[in-house]
Amino acid sequence: VPGYERAELTVELKVIPSSEAESPPREQVEAAKSAASDSGLAREAGPEVTALAGGRREVLEASLKVMEAALDAGAQAVEVRVEAEGEAERFGAS
Amino acid sequence: MTIEQTAPTAPTRERPSAPVQTPGRIGEHTERADGVPKVRGEFEYSSDLWMDGMLWGATLRSPHPHANIWSIDTSEAEEMPGVRAVLTHEDVPGRKVYGMEVPDQPVLAWERVRYQGEAVALVAADHPETARRALEKISVEYEVLDPLTDPEEAMKEDAPRLHLSGNVLKRIDIVHGDVAEAEAEADVVVSGEYEVGMQDQAFLGPESGLAVPDGQGGVDLYISTQWLHLDRDQVAESLGLAPEQVRLTLSGVGGAFGGREDLSMQIHACMLALETERPVKMVYNREESFYGHVHRHPCRMRYEHGATRDGDLLYVKARLVFDGGAYASSSIAVCTNAATFACGPYDVPNARIESHMLYTNNPPCGAMRGFGAVQVCFAHEAQMDRLAKELGMDPLKLRIRNAMRPGIRFPFGQEVPHPAPVREILERVREMPLPEEEEVEGRDLRRLPGGVSNVTHGEGVRRGVGYAVGYKNIGFSAGFDDYSTARVTLSVEDGEPLVRVHTAAAEVGQGLITVEAQIARTELGVERVAVLQADTRVGSAGSTSASRQTYVTGAAVKQACEQVRERFFERAREEYGEGDLAIEDGDVVSDGEAVVSLAELLGGEEIEETVEYHHRETQPLDEKGQGDAHLQFAFAAHRAVVEVDTELGLVRVVEIATAQDVGKAMNPQALEGQIEGGIAQGLGLALLEEIHIKEGKIQNASFTDYLIPTILDMPSVRAEILELADPEAPYGLKGVGEPPTIASTPAIVAALRDATGRELTRVPVRPEQIVGIAEKPPDEPPQPGSRGYSGIGRLDEREEH
Repeated sequence: VPGYERAELTVELKVIPSSEAESPPREQVEAAKSAASDSGLAREAGPEVTALAGGRREVLEASLKVMEAALDAGAQAVEVRVEAEGEAERFGAS
Repeated sequence: MTIEQTAPTAPTRERPSAPVQTPGRIGEHTERADGVPKVRGEFEYSSDLWMDGMLWGATLRSPHPHANIWSIDTSEAEEMPGVRAVLTHEDVPGRKVYGMEVPDQPVLAWERVRYQGEAVALVAADHPETARRALEKISVEYEVLDPLTDPEEAMKEDAPRLHLSGNVLKRIDIVHGDVAEAEAEADVVVSGEYEVGMQDQAFLGPESGLAVPDGQGGVDLYISTQWLHLDRDQVAESLGLAPEQVRLTLSGVGGAFGGREDLSMQIHACMLALETERPVKMVYNREESFYGHVHRHPCRMRYEHGATRDGDLLYVKARLVFDGGAYASSSIAVCTNAATFACGPYDVPNARIESHMLYTNNPPCGAMRGFGAVQVCFAHEAQMDRLAKELGMDPLKLRIRNAMRPGIRFPFGQEVPHPAPVREILERVREMPLPEEEEVEGRDLRRLPGGVSNVTHGEGVRRGVGYAVGYKNIGFSAGFDDYSTARVTLSVEDGEPLVRVHTAAAEVGQGLITVEAQIARTELGVERVAVLQADTRVGSAGSTSASRQTYVTGAAVKQACEQVRERFFERAREEYGEGDLAIEDGDVVSDGEAVVSLAELLGGEEIEETVEYHHRETQPLDEKGQGDAHLQFAFAAHRAVVEVDTELGLVRVVEIATAQDVGKAMNPQALEGQIEGGIAQGLGLALLEEIHIKEGKIQNASFTDYLIPTILDMPSVRAEILELADPEAPYGLKGVGEPPTIASTPAIVAALRDATGRELTRVPVRPEQIVGIAEKPPDEPPQPGSRGYSGIGRLDEREEH
């Protein structure tokens, strides 16, 4: 049932690959996913979308790393959606 | 204009009528309104839904448990006559993933499939056969990967990662007391390893529904489900619509048992309907149903119990490893539940529990009746028998000696509330007379193991008796804001008072609509009650799971009735002055005298109240697994008597005796049904029911090969009901749906051990275990050279073949 894993913050990052970059579009997305995976907070949310969920500070820090990885790989843009959980405190979120 | 203002309020399909019931009051036997139509075949299940001009939806599923998808070509399918739409992940307009706890499951797979049967593409066509053929024309290029199917392997550092954050979905640790100190004091230590196979809910009505576009961008979905509002919210999010644009109506549900708590075809049907602008019906066949819903988690458990020579438990250590399958579903909650109930309903002063939930490439697992308590009950009860044997004690006496009681602490720190009648229910089953032993010679074959297969006439048949006790939480736990909404209307129709009750609570066959009517009858004193079809026009009722609906929705209905009654009495007082008012047989009674009929006082008006009932707040567990996590606890004990053909490993369960505390028997007839049905499902897990998986693929996706108990397998059931009121609950009631399933399985296996002397550490127990060929089923089928092969061998390799 919902509610067991309520994260304080969820960030969705959608990588918009560039066709003009050195690395192919798929690798640009993979670079972002790889960085997200290292955070331990990530799940796939679409072909180009990665979601990070957890405590506010750790999610924001991980988001920055994911964006940097995507841009370093040549991505044209990263669309970001941030959602806060109002009741997170009750669920022991950091 | 807001979306709410523009969304159509008129239904796109005629709503099912709400039959007027004349129920009994609570506590009285009341026949269910849907009983006769179901028996006559007149009841409309969701698979019977029909609209003129509707299309048929179908789902293309992955044949591989683990593969990369390199391309999906739908062009050939799109060109087929009669095909109206072919959709892939690119057509999901909103969020491309869904999930009850963690949105990790693709609506339609894009780059990778993680289990056999994962949805990849959709078709809508004029005819179901056209849709099926179109699926065959969709070309998917897969790169097949090795499936990761063993949760222990999935836990290893170097295992391939199935999800971005690895394979460990959840780990719960419970640290209670000082186990190290207790170990040093223990006179007797027993340990064991146990395993529970993957059970299916095996509901008889397959997944089905009808999606109808409303012509204004929204959609109506008629669906058999357990939780309308959670479905609605997930569907809306993936369709990119506001919740108000997605309206769900409950259709006839042919059983659920947890298997309908997750989405199956909900989003798919709505996508197809919105794409084609036509109603779209989807119905899974039996095989597809096995791929279309989650199952009970298989689990491996390692236990150690330490006790004094007198039989007092000193500590329990347990390591639980659950196979969650490919996606999260409700696995996190199952992991939590199992951890909290791992020690059983005993006074355990010290405990150390590890509960692990892993992703694998096996079919996703999630909610099923008993929800984590079933697996651990099998293990802790086997351990209690093992400990009793080691101590030379009667196993029932050992249980009674250690039974938990109100005021002590559960291993997860919460105080055991009153009532917790573990001792009482164990004593009740002990006191029930055992069934007489019938002479085997000349006995009707149907009452022998193997039945009319005519395999034994009594030779090699031994009787065994076994006991078990289990418990489980009722309602949602660990901080979830668990609530239900009820709308109650009192009016006069056809000159007679009528109460209408409207909730979104799913009737899945358990008898909830009858209980709702009984509550209204009791609180308002009106004989005629109509329970409206559940839908999302009224607020959420939460899920029909965790044995919670009679408690939570029952409380909402009760409070709404009380508010209606109070408003009515206010009106009566204005007219007839102060007095001790009541409603009896359609009259307003003041100080024992009828002063006016209810119909006269109401006139043409109606009184309506809507109530949202929230139960007491619970708390999540802390890092040591401590917290007031659960709302209510229900207990049941079982005694099984079996007869075993020890030569062929065939079993006849002679009788199950049970004692269960229900707080208040709201409808004794429905309670009887829950107890017997739950025992049937427990018997199935003990002896028959298992989804066989090989390298991530289901081997028995049919009711020919997945065996469920029939009436011939069911024993007689002797039940004693305790009504010890829970002071916090409406009417003192306790949830009753799950406890019968929990301890019935270990009781049957204990009886088998008693009859055979074998360890029997895995369920379902198979004949080869009973006769001692193997303690566990072999990982591989028999090969040339393996024991017994030369005498039998594979059919296709025999010379006579």
